[in-house]
This record gives sequence, structure tokens and C-alpha cells, in this order.
Amino acid sequence: MDTYPAGTVRALLETDDVTAPTRAALEERLQAPEASPLRFFSLSEMETLRAAAARLIAQTSAAETMELVREIDDRLVAETGNGWRFASLPPDRETYRRGLAGLEESARALHGFGFAELHGEQQDDVLRCVQAGSAPGEIWRSLDAPRLFEELLADLVEAYYSQPVAQEQIGYAGMADAPGWTRIGLDEREEREPRAITA
Amino acid sequence: MKTQQHSHDHAVDALVIGTGAGGAPLMTRLASAGLSVVALEAGKHWNPARDFATDEKEQNKLFWLDERISAGGDPIHFGNNNSGIGVGGSTLHYTAYTPRAQPDDFRLRTDFGVGCDWPFPYSTLEPYYDELENFLGVSGPSPYPWGPPRRTRYPFAPLPLNGPAQLMERACAQLGILTSPAANAALSAPYYQPEFGWRPACTNRGFCQAGCSTGAKASMDVTFIPLALSKGAELRTESFATEIETDRSGNVSGVVYENGGARMRQRCRNLFLCAGAVETPRLLLMNGLANSSGQVGRNFMAHTGVQLWGTFEEDVRPYKGIPGALISEETHRPADADFAGGYLLQSIGIMPVTHASQLARGRGSWGVALREQMRAYNHTAGINILGDCLPHPDNFLELSEEKDGRGLPKPRVRFTNGENERRLTAHAEKIMRQIWDAAGARDLWTFQRNAHVIGTCRMGDGADVSVVNANGRAFDIPNLYIADNSVFPSALSANPALTIMALSLHIADRFLASR
Repeated sequence: MDTYPAGTVRALLETDDVTAPTRAALEERLQAPEASPLRFFSLSEMETLRAAAARLIAQTSAAETMELVREIDDRLVAETGNGWRFASLPPDRETYRRGLAGLEESARALHGFGFAELHGEQQDDVLRCVQAGSAPGEIWRSLDAPRLFEELLADLVEAYYSQPVAQEQIGYAGMADAPGWTRIGLDEREEREPRAITA
Repeated sequence: MKTQQHSHDHAVDALVIGTGAGGAPLMTRLASAGLSVVALEAGKHWNPARDFATDEKEQNKLFWLDERISAGGDPIHFGNNNSGIGVGGSTLHYTAYTPRAQPDDFRLRTDFGVGCDWPFPYSTLEPYYDELENFLGVSGPSPYPWGPPRRTRYPFAPLPLNGPAQLMERACAQLGILTSPAANAALSAPYYQPEFGWRPACTNRGFCQAGCSTGAKASMDVTFIPLALSKGAELRTESFATEIETDRSGNVSGVVYENGGARMRQRCRNLFLCAGAVETPRLLLMNGLANSSGQVGRNFMAHTGVQLWGTFEEDVRPYKGIPGALISEETHRPADADFAGGYLLQSIGIMPVTHASQLARGRGSWGVALREQMRAYNHTAGINILGDCLPHPDNFLELSEEKDGRGLPKPRVRFTNGENERRLTAHAEKIMRQIWDAAGARDLWTFQRNAHVIGTCRMGDGADVSVVNANGRAFDIPNLYIADNSVFPSALSANPALTIMALSLHIADRFLASR
């Protein structure tokens, strides 16, 4: 579908078209996080989660997947969530710990190696099986695999598309909130909204 | 926070828990009548211009984030879908969609033999609908095409149609389905009210569901709350009620609440629970009160709310304009229905992170497919229904064994759509697909959802089958009232906020008349 030029949101942040609270939120997010060690995930859990994030979001850089992992790590340390969870899953920390172990178990059962060591296509195969509830492994007998997959995916996707750089890729300009919009109908674009490169 | 006006030991006339669509109108009414009123609000009192960003992640602070456990065949999504915290409650992030319920919504059992009638007719709430639309500054069409003739006009003209609304309007015209600009509690022109001044016209910022930063949207914090404060009501924020105390005769004597780590107690003559259909029954169950009927937590309902999404040739840019700009109530009681009740249809825009999350959860999209679908974001538009939901014995709220950060039991909600909800949803999906096909949509997909939590403290005429009477008063405790969505006997085929406010004013007026 459409592609948009890079840098549009970052350019908007330089203008008066963005209100102060919006600018503050986005500029903070654009700051590269400190390279401090993770506090919840072990090194091997981190490798598994990073590998899964790279397939689930796709087309991400190593720095981007690391940032996603770090965000989930921070949340699990702080024990903050989104206000609800499926009754078929245990509390978030346990869900992540056991879910990542389940991915490892399925990867070895299906393809003979740990998840992070597999080729992309093999990793996708494992993920598809977990999503469908057909992945092999002892852990999935007591952990709802499709719900675990849904939670993991939603966490990653929400974190990724909250990033200004990801919002540039989809041509989103809602953060240019200071002036208000007057051209809101079909095929009505305002000057501060990015134009697609290809349609 | 303002200085405390009432001492803890002085029994105030009315203690109100919760400041959303249930609590705010009522506290205003009672304070205006000269009663001493204190309202406890679990969250903060935001300054929207200073505190609200046009950024979904930042605005997660508007949602109730203490964990709720969702069980059953169709687990309810809470957080950003069904909850609210802060002065204004869930009106801080409602879409401002304010259709009235119609007269037949109040008599579902009479008309269909299922569900539950309300203990009063539409005409009981009608004067409050009239009053509220004027006070809130609802923008809508006059005359309104559906329901009985109105005694009042909407005070403001409808808001402009955004891309999704134009697509739905065009397709429905081809198909012969009547549509209209919707009624939304967001101003299409500036509005001056003597007690608290000007509110500006909507700037089409499109962010109603994550907090209006301008005051154009009639959330409680920019309408009833300033009026209540001007009438002498006292607001205590970041105050979380944990215990309801009763005296020897069984009347409520006060409430214990947590504020900044400290435990406080406020004495009161009357208690009004307005904490919503999860926290209100949770508080009653934790305290073992008002439940001789065994109905607290029962009758949990959640509106059918399936969405249909599609992509279009046209540039839609679904982040602009009031999200639900166009409505049709032609499906309120469809002639070919194989279900009880009905639903309304609305066009919808969407914010990008919500869209991505729904693609992940509802469509199961990931990897390259998700990236491709997200690249079509600016060409995306949706239609949504808001329809009935019947109570079912298996759908209820209970206390779980798990404790939250305060050491209190987390609520667990069991919900599964029944046969009526499934039939209604199938009927709606068929019509929505016809509309989106006619509009030229490609790549159609449905997002199954239930929105708005309703029931759990049913209002009715019998103490054996309901928790409160038609005036909102608990059958078991004469100075305990409930005024929020938990008392709805039936779901109504209309978004609940306006009716919650109307019910709140009705309960306040009945209370004042009884004194």
C-alpha cells in the first residue's frame, strides 16, 4: 500500500503545530533508552523475545527490537498492566516467563534448536503453531497458547506503533494537534499531513 | 487539591463515590439543593490543556489499570475499552456519542418476553434527556429521524462528517438505508454558561477516546463538576473507598478510604455509589452489603459492538473529526430480526495504536501482513454497531481469590455472548458488509467486541430479584443509593452515557423529593 517519506513526525515536532503536552510525550519517546541491563528477563529469555519480536513486527532493526524488549521488561518490573487479563493466563510475569519457555520448548520439538537459533521461516512456523494452539510442548498443557500469543503480540504491536518513527511509516499526523483540522472529508489533506510517495 | 471543607467526623448529607456520568450530575443536583456533598474520586483531577497529549500511550492514564480478570467464552477487554478513572470517569474517554434510548428499549420483556423491563417508562427520563442535551451542548440533527417527537431541539448543529461518515452516508444512500449526522456531546460552536464560562467549538482533533484537550467534548470535568464545585460540593481526589461502615440499625454511617497511603474515614447520612458496574458491585461484595437478593454482581451485560473494517481507494485519514459522525437507527427493531431488541449503526474513525492492537488481537495479524495492513491505515474506515445484550445466569462479576496491590480481591467477570447476541451480531455483520461493499471497501474484516459494562446491581420493583428500587435506593439499606450503569435492568440499544446521566438526575430528584 502507501509509503511515506521518513522524518515527517520528527519534522512536525520542530514546528508550532504540536501542542506542548504532545511534544513532551513524543520527544521523550524519541530519546534512545539507556543501555542498562534488563531487570526481569534473563539473557536467554531476552534472546528469545527479541527473536520473536523481530518476526512478529517484521522489518525492524536490532535497536528497535531491543527497545521493545526493554519496554516489556520495564513494565514487568513495575508490575503495571493494561487493566485486565484473560482468566486463562496467570499474572503477567508468570505468563511471560512460562510463555518464553514454551516457545523454546516448541522450537526444539519442531526444529531441533532454540528459538533464537532458528531461521526466520522456522521461527514463523513455531509462532504460527503457538497462535493456532497446536505447538508441541509440556508447557502448553497448562498455558493457553493462543491467548499467550495474543497478549505477546498486542504488547509488541502497541509498543511499536507508539513510536513516532513507526507512525511516520503509516503517514499518521494526528500529533499535529495545535491548529485543529478543517479538511476532514475524503481525499482532503492539509499541508501538514504527509503525502504518500506511492499509492 | 483543594482544602478539605467538611470534617471527617461531620456526617455530610451525601457522600458520593465516583465522579463520572453517574456521580457528577447527582452531586451537582444535591449541592444545588443546598445539601452538604463530598465526592470521593479514585483518580486525579486533570487539567486537559496542560496534561492531555494527542498520544495514545501517554493517555493510558485515563483508564482503570488495576487488574480485572476476564473469564468466560468472550472475555471482556477492560482498560482502554471499558473503564475510567479520574475526575469525569469514563466520560474523559467516551466518544461523546449521545443517542437517547427509545421508549421500547425500556420494555424489552413486555415486547419480546425476554430480558427485563425498566421499572419506569421512557417518559420518566425524557425531561432529563431534554435538560442534559441542552446543558452538555449536544450537537445533533433537529428533528431527529428516529424515536418519538422531541419537545426540545439539539442546541447545536451537527458536527461535520469525516471520511468514514462520508463513505457510510454515500453507500447507505445507494442502498436506501436512512442515515443522519449523529448526536455527539461535543460542541459545533462555542458555548457560554454563566457558572463556568466558555467552552470552545470542537477542532476535529479526533481524539475523543483518549481525552479531549480543549473542553469541546462534554466530559463531566468540564461541565457538571465545575458547576457542582460552584454550588459548594467538595471533591476529594486520589481517594479510593475500601469499606462501607454501618450502624446498629444497619444504615450506612460512613466510608473508609485510602488517600496518599493514609486511611481516612468520612461520616455520612446518605451514601451514593457511582463507581460503575465493576467497582460498585465489587465494593458491595467486599463489604457484604445490600445483597439479600443475591443479585449483586449478577446480570452482567456488555453491548454487542462488532466492528467492520475495510480499506478504500480514497484517502480517509481516520484520525480526524468526531469518530462517530454518522448514525442509522433503521436497525433499532429490524423487521426480519430473529432476535430480541436491536442495534444502531455508526461510522467510525480510529487512532493508530488502537487500530494496530485490534489487527493483532482481532485479526491475528503479525509480521509482514501486519506491516502491510498498517500501511493502509490512512485508507481505513469502519462501521460499528451498538446493540442489545440480554442478561444470562452465567454472566456475572465475582471476587477472585487473587489480591491487588491494596490487598483487596481482584474482580473477575465472566461473560459469554448468548444466542440472542450471536444472532443480532450476524444480522448486523450482513448489513455492514452490504454497506461497505457498496462503499467500495476492500480487505474487509470484523473485529468482535463487546463494549460498555452494564448490570450487576439491577434496579427493579422486587427486593427478591433486584438490588435497588426505581429510585435507586437499596432495598436492604435505606440510606444507600446506586446511580450508575450497574443498575440498568437492560442494556438498551443505545450508548449508555446520556442515559446514565439522566438516571443520575432522576435518582437525585427522587431523593430530594423524599426528604
